[in-house]
Amino acid sequence: MKNTIRQVFHSPKFVVGFCIFMAILLTMLIYPFINPGNPLKMIGLGTFAKPGTYVSLYDSVTTETSIFKLPDADAKRLDKFLSSEDRVSMVNWFTAVGIDISTLDITDTNALLSLWKANYDPALKPKGMTKAQRNYYNRLNDSLNAASTSDTLTVTEVDASSGETVEKAKIGVNDYVNVGNVANVKTLPLGTDNFGRDTLKELVAACGTSIEIGMIAGAVATIIGLLLGLLAGYLGGMVDDLIMFLTNIFTVIPSFVLLILINYSINQDQRGATTVALVIGLTSWVWTARSVRSQVISLRNRDHVNLSRLSGHSLPRIILTDILPYIASYVMMAFILQVSSGILAEAQLSLLGLGPKTTEVPTLGLMMNWAMLYSAHLNGSWWAYFPVIMVIAFISFSLNLMNTGLDQVFNPTLRD
Amino acid sequence: MSKNILEVRGLTTKYVTRFHEDVYAVDHVSLSIEEGKSLGIAGESGCGKSTLALSLMGYYFAPLHYMSGDIVVDGKNISNMDPDDVRKTVLGTEIAYIPQAAMNALNPTRRIRKFVEDVILAHDPKADRKQIYEMAKARFAELGLPADVLDRHPVELSGGMKQRTVIAISTILKPKVLIADEPSSALDVTSQKMVIKMLRDLMDKGYIRAMIFITHELPLLYNVTDDIMVMYAGQIVEKGNAKDMVFNPIHPYSHGLMRSIIVPEEGTRNHKLSAIPGTPPNLKKPPQGCRFADRCKYVVPQCRYNALPMIEAGEGRAYRCGHSVQHLREEYQNDDE
Amino acid sequence: MGFTLPRSRFLILGGKAMKGYRKYFGKKILWFVITFIVALLLNFILPRLMPGDPVAAVTAKQAQGLSEASAVKAIYDNYAREFGTNKPMTEQFVTYMTNLFHGDMGTSFSQYPRKVSDIIGNAIGWTISLQLPAILIGWLLGNLLGALAAYIRKGFDKVLMPLTLFFSSIPAFGMAVILLVVFAINLKVAPISGGYGFDMIPNLSWNFVLSVIQHYQLPFWSIVIISIGGQAVGMRSMSIYELNADYVKYARFLGIKDRKIVGYVFRNAMLPQVTGLALSLGTMVGGALVAEIIFSYPGLGTTMYQGITMADYPLISGTTLIITVMVLIATFVLDIVYGFIDPRVKAAQFD
Repeated sequence: MKNTIRQVFHSPKFVVGFCIFMAILLTMLIYPFINPGNPLKMIGLGTFAKPGTYVSLYDSVTTETSIFKLPDADAKRLDKFLSSEDRVSMVNWFTAVGIDISTLDITDTNALLSLWKANYDPALKPKGMTKAQRNYYNRLNDSLNAASTSDTLTVTEVDASSGETVEKAKIGVNDYVNVGNVANVKTLPLGTDNFGRDTLKELVAACGTSIEIGMIAGAVATIIGLLLGLLAGYLGGMVDDLIMFLTNIFTVIPSFVLLILINYSINQDQRGATTVALVIGLTSWVWTARSVRSQVISLRNRDHVNLSRLSGHSLPRIILTDILPYIASYVMMAFILQVSSGILAEAQLSLLGLGPKTTEVPTLGLMMNWAMLYSAHLNGSWWAYFPVIMVIAFISFSLNLMNTGLDQVFNPTLRD
Repeated sequence: MSKNILEVRGLTTKYVTRFHEDVYAVDHVSLSIEEGKSLGIAGESGCGKSTLALSLMGYYFAPLHYMSGDIVVDGKNISNMDPDDVRKTVLGTEIAYIPQAAMNALNPTRRIRKFVEDVILAHDPKADRKQIYEMAKARFAELGLPADVLDRHPVELSGGMKQRTVIAISTILKPKVLIADEPSSALDVTSQKMVIKMLRDLMDKGYIRAMIFITHELPLLYNVTDDIMVMYAGQIVEKGNAKDMVFNPIHPYSHGLMRSIIVPEEGTRNHKLSAIPGTPPNLKKPPQGCRFADRCKYVVPQCRYNALPMIEAGEGRAYRCGHSVQHLREEYQNDDE
Repeated sequence: MGFTLPRSRFLILGGKAMKGYRKYFGKKILWFVITFIVALLLNFILPRLMPGDPVAAVTAKQAQGLSEASAVKAIYDNYAREFGTNKPMTEQFVTYMTNLFHGDMGTSFSQYPRKVSDIIGNAIGWTISLQLPAILIGWLLGNLLGALAAYIRKGFDKVLMPLTLFFSSIPAFGMAVILLVVFAINLKVAPISGGYGFDMIPNLSWNFVLSVIQHYQLPFWSIVIISIGGQAVGMRSMSIYELNADYVKYARFLGIKDRKIVGYVFRNAMLPQVTGLALSLGTMVGGALVAEIIFSYPGLGTTMYQGITMADYPLISGTTLIITVMVLIATFVLDIVYGFIDPRVKAAQFD
């Protein structure tokens, strides 16, 4: 046993898979301490906030400022207003109007702007330009003008008692605030989802729930599969035929379909995470049962089993002491695979809206469901679905790696 | 005196383990077989018999490596040839090999006749399939195999049938030397007889010109082979003609082997079973002197230190031991009393 | 490869060997029928176990604005009669079976008054034409890749294996979404959804066909890639196992070229893969259906999804039944094909 464990932990595939899985588990356990609170709490009021650090504008106005004169501040400011498409449009306008642009560097914002300011005339109607296009240039020009020309912005407040507008603060063009001094700063590494929830927090919690569901489903499936496989393999005859018959039916009727039907008939309210896990477990034991059965059949006629039978040992004892130790390795591998497929099954189910109820705990599948329903993939909010997919992939990958590693230890022919 | 079909001089081959250690499984082995004769190789499991067989064919597949020595088949030196040449010109045509547990040697999903076609086409790509089939049918019939075997799949044949089919296929190209590795070990007695008869037929009809019969079953060798060679821990410890080897072994190991044969006869129950205690040495670090020293009844201190060559003992016999023939014979007689 | 039946097999088909197969086929057919019945039962019972009254929901929709209780009740009774929910379960089942026999799977709630069989009939063509070739091609390519990896075991394999494993760990919907985003939205080389252009009406014009082909690409390749991932790893293990078999060594000893031997090995390794395909067909179809949903492809997947979201249980019942029947038929066909291609099955008949 000790030797086997040593071999297992020397297998590179197993170790890598194990590390990845442990990393995910640890993150799952530790993160709630870094960022406590209900993951389903909505903190955003809009939809799909991009990942990044959000600084409270209200607070930063009243925070103490430091003065910095950064050399490229102006250029950067202007750059925000001018996208590369806008620049190309400006060059097109110049060409259409007949201005010489051969010496113009399109990336030199200052030069571009001064040329524009010097030459733009809304009244000009260059040939070939539609009214819509001229409107565009007008708007462009307006926005360029609106970009601050003065060196100070003034923030005013309406005084409650007098009704007058009172100056509250002055913001100079070279005023900078230290983010650490601002009262309210929120970093959202993965932005928010459509409900305005912190995606990363949600993801970590969902991870936990999904893995839990996977474990329960995996355990249930493995136990059922083990029991049925043992009985079918060892007892043979009618029992075997019956169990095989049952297995075949469950194979052909796609478990996917069964899951849909069963979950559908359980009302939404009663569908907790555990219930769903149980249902998944009850429909996915087939592979394990088959695998255990074939192993037991080959073990059945081994000498030590025959000896036990001749010695009059009882059936449970024979199974426990003579057969189980030999199939232990298969059962372990089966369990890992069942967990993996349980997580995937839950994800698929939730994607269809048939997963655990949506108000208590998030699961990975549910996050995908919400992302799809609110068209995250269509409006470019990659943070709402891509990390979820990657997490599912990594969990599945790590479990599969561990399984392959174990397989190589138990079946030397597969070793590299 | 007929010429030697097979001559081997000082063949040494090694296995390289995963941890890059060398195991000299075949250590300076020399032997020769005359045309029309058969040589039996006996020895414990793990003494290097099968490795010797593989080495003789010139078929080196990692982790087995050729080290030194010559192998000459019918005048042609095939030692250390390019693997592709070996495949084209040696395997199956000069030397053929029947592996242990030959029942597993056939591809379970391929019809026998297809497989025969594959074998022949591999050496003669232009052969005509119909002719191949006719030839195979004739040959199989000649060797006592029923006609419909060719059309079957291996899974439809019994163990003995499969073994004989494998023998027939191995010799389809009329190899000069046939190496049979435990051809009858996994079979019942009747099937064993049929296998032996088939091998005999092959020799008599000239389909093979020499045979090496590897087994750990000693009683068989006397009935089947002309000469016997005993191997131990990668070396030959004794060789000579069958009768002498069985009834008058020189080397202590051969002596022990022959005595351990149980002959079912009157009074067998009263004899004490004699076995050779101990196990062969670790070939990663072979002992300097006699490799059998640890298990030998007649060991003296010099045995462990002197490197021992093969000593000729007249009439084609040779043995590898520090003691003289006379001394050994005396010891054996003492033991018998 | 050995997938075309050689002439000798046809001769045998007509001859005595067919008798041996009879037992094998007989058993398979019997089991096919029994499974079908069980599937029917499940499809009938399970949705009807759901608490709540779907008829009430439909009535509520139709009776909007009506205040008189008796009028609402009249509408309710009408629907109850039509959907048969006012009769005991056993009677409902008999009605269900007889209707089914006539190809009538009931009326859809959400798309009232369209018949379920009508809706499914429209969708099934799209699903089969998408999934059948996609799963088969994915399976073939996956096996080729696995075989290749097993053959070229050095460096190539050390990198390719974990990579393939990772790709096969990406869930089906994940792959579909990624492909959708990358190709349809970012690179804009493929349409985002649907089976054909929004502005088109199905006809046989070249324009329409072209549009269909365009819309076919992404769902097709998603399913192919997902299937490859699943198969490649298994085939590699199987091939490695076969490569170490005794008959490989023996064939080498007889001087047979490596290339030919490789042919043996892969042919033998493919056999369990066929069985494996039959066993995992349920999962693969499930994944393909989800891909359909992601791409809003007008097949059974989307239909089922609509049914679920609209709580339309005749539709759900009908689609799941059809899906089960399709998988059942496919498994049956595979079983029969396997009986032909594996000589060991033929041999077992003569025991």
